[in-house]
Amino acid sequence: MRTPAESVLRTGGSIGAAVMRPVARRVNGAAVATLDAVLDSRLAGDVVERVAASPLVTRALRGALEGPLVEALARDLVRYQVADRLLSEGLVEQTTQRVLEGAELERVVDAALASPTVERLIASAIESRLLDETVARLLDSDDLWLLVEEIARSPAVTDAIGRQSAGFADQVADGVRARSRSADAWVEQRARRMLRRRPAPPPGSGTP
Amino acid sequence: MSLAADRGAAVARPADVADAAAAPFAYVGIVTRAIAFAVDAAVIQIVAIAVAGTFALILSVVSVGDDLKTVLVAAGGVAYGLWLVGYFVVFWTASGQTPGNRLLEIRVCRAADGAPPAPGAAVLRFAGLILAALPLFLGFLPILTDDRRRGVHDMLAGTVVVVVPPAPPDRKR
Repeated sequence: MRTPAESVLRTGGSIGAAVMRPVARRVNGAAVATLDAVLDSRLAGDVVERVAASPLVTRALRGALEGPLVEALARDLVRYQVADRLLSEGLVEQTTQRVLEGAELERVVDAALASPTVERLIASAIESRLLDETVARLLDSDDLWLLVEEIARSPAVTDAIGRQSAGFADQVADGVRARSRSADAWVEQRARRMLRRRPAPPPGSGTP
Repeated sequence: MSLAADRGAAVARPADVADAAAAPFAYVGIVTRAIAFAVDAAVIQIVAIAVAGTFALILSVVSVGDDLKTVLVAAGGVAYGLWLVGYFVVFWTASGQTPGNRLLEIRVCRAADGAPPAPGAAVLRFAGLILAALPLFLGFLPILTDDRRRGVHDMLAGTVVVVVPPAPPDRKR
């Protein structure tokens, strides 16, 4: 059961709220518009640039990086499973696909390959002792020879060697055939001349 | 390569040859035939030596009497003779090609129709081969002068030796 005083107060509050609501709405709108204007202003940009370039910000960032913030951030990243969430949303796949399909990666790789620095790096890597040691260790490895043996025994390799050998034998046989037929003609020509016989009939003129 | 253009072979047009019915084909000269024969001789002797060696090793550890040894040597001689004659007769009658002939892409065929010689003709040809070789190989001289490049043994058996037309590329292997 409400008392009369409570009813009066409630009614007064309702009237006050009804009167103040449009006023508050207008004040909020004006505040947001003012904030937008400030953010868009050149002055705000200059201020931000100055702050960002100031030694204070540098010191603050350095202090933050030296302090426990990094560890806390790492712990939170793990705790809130940020990596899992990013992976589950396919963001990494999309980014990777975009990078691989884009022309930027090709340009970067081309530029890297064409650069003298990469050339020097590759040359120094080839000339380095590390490569020699790697090759030596590889040659000492039993697994390598096992692999070589497996490859040598593979049907593809044995077939290729067989075809090569057969091809060589065919070539030799072709050579023998051609030379023997030339020799046939030569010997026959000499024999017919010695025996004073007429030359052999021209091709296609005889009958069996 | 056209066989007619083969400068090492006298070319004729046979009446009826199964493999090259309409195409002219080439008779084979003495050098090619000698090489083919040498290949065949090598095959025959390698097999004979291998078999004889095997038996000799067996006999070296198994003691047999002198009489039995004589019988075995005689049997070996007969087997060698049969192997020698059988080698040529079987190959000539089967396809007209011994391994040596196959290597040089030539074949023995009947002069009349180009078919492989019959067994009787093949035996006769082998006998003719021996006869031709006996008088210092004079029996092979007609190969140099005959228009169809026939030796005495070919004339006896009614055969010629011709170049085998090359198979089409897809059938060669």
